[in-house]
Amino acid sequence: MYKLVPSICSYCGTGCGVLFEVLDHRILGTLPLKTHPVNEGRLCLKGWSLHEYVESDMRLTGPYLRINGRLHQVTWERAIGFAARRLTEIVDRYGPDSVGVLASAKISNEENYLLQKFARAVVGTNNVDHCARL
Amino acid sequence: MAELKDLVRQWLESGRVDLFLGYKEVAGHPLPYAFSRDNLEEVAELMVSPARYSLEKLAANILKARPGLRIGLLARDCTRRAVNVLTIYNQVEPGQVELLDLSCCPSRPQVSCSALTPPEVGEVKRALGLDNRLTPEQFEAIPAPERLGRWLYEFQKCLKCYGCRDICPVCFCRECSLEHGELVEPRDLPPEVPMFHWVRAVHMAGRCIDCGLCEEACPVDIPLRLLYRLTNRIVRELFGYDTGLTLTRPPFSVLGVGPAEPREAAGGKGR
Ligand code: SF4
Ligand code: SF4
Ligand code: SF4
Ligand code: SF4
Repeated sequence: MYKLVPSICSYCGTGCGVLFEVLDHRILGTLPLKTHPVNEGRLCLKGWSLHEYVESDMRLTGPYLRINGRLHQVTWERAIGFAARRLTEIVDRYGPDSVGVLASAKISNEENYLLQKFARAVVGTNNVDHCARL
Repeated sequence: MAELKDLVRQWLESGRVDLFLGYKEVAGHPLPYAFSRDNLEEVAELMVSPARYSLEKLAANILKARPGLRIGLLARDCTRRAVNVLTIYNQVEPGQVELLDLSCCPSRPQVSCSALTPPEVGEVKRALGLDNRLTPEQFEAIPAPERLGRWLYEFQKCLKCYGCRDICPVCFCRECSLEHGELVEPRDLPPEVPMFHWVRAVHMAGRCIDCGLCEEACPVDIPLRLLYRLTNRIVRELFGYDTGLTLTRPPFSVLGVGPAEPREAAGGKGR
């Protein structure tokens, strides 16, 4: 019914340790993990507000596609299919270096690895950068 | 420790409490943990954590959603003071929380608390700011004209993370003045010096129970505990009011001029 769940802040690459107050599967609040070696019990404003976006009504929970100027919620299959088709068309027409991939601090090391692999091995470009430099 | 575990088990089995908030090691960290009748066997793993979390604030948050529950808390001295203040301000009702006292100050068993093991202070801070270890008396030994300058140095480091407020067991206002656009300009960083900190200091008069959690959560080591100790020393001197020690209402909860007669809260619960 009630538990405290340790986790890592998903907002930036610092990786502060957090603790979620979870009651009946809903997150009531976020606390700094006091014994975490990275943040030693401190957080920035973003870390303190993690539960707000997890629980927000405005949070996107699926892919959207812009059709005739308006966003429509679509299936993952359709969204990925569309992205794959357009990327192939662009690469075929303008070459691999017309594509850039922006990796993220909010995803795991492994996901970032896959992303650069996708850029280099599938698309064929070294245009890989990171959200922290935008 | 064995007696402590037996007591917790007893409290849960007898239905004296529905939940007991203590600590347990999870993923290598001592974490607050909710023991209940459904996981009685885990009471064997109950521990006393050197890292302090505001168990009373967690309990108050749970009670907002589930007012019918009775929650037991592993309580340090500051927990008891905080529960008194939360009761005075109607955030918990008498009877909703039960405290299992763990005599603490001075520490038994060891705890990480800035009152007992204050943080080291570096050269720049010593020259320009305020040593977090200063007592109000030592602070007053600093020549008066220097004091404000040192506070200003400390305040301008503020990142406006609101951690001091968010971690504070006695900060629970639905609309917080520190987020009020006309009092604190939303885009300013640092937040207006010294207003941001003075607003909070005034709110802590008759409310802050000197747990030091705010100072521990402050990413830039502002000596917040000292600030609120100084504030509450004035409250003690002018009104003879010791925050958190009893269920007596603070002098500020009554409108009027000058010191008000303290009123006893109903159903005062002593030690
Ligand atoms: S709390 Fe702030 S600094 Fe820490 S990981 Fe999250 S965003 Fe980064
Ligand atoms: S010491 Fe800080 S956290 Fe503790 S009650 Fe006072 S203001 Fe709140
Ligand atoms: S800082 Fe003041 S207004 Fe904000 S939650 Fe604390 S007591 Fe309430
Ligand atoms: S915890 Fe420190 S940095 Fe954060 S808002 Fe409070 S005083 Fe400022």
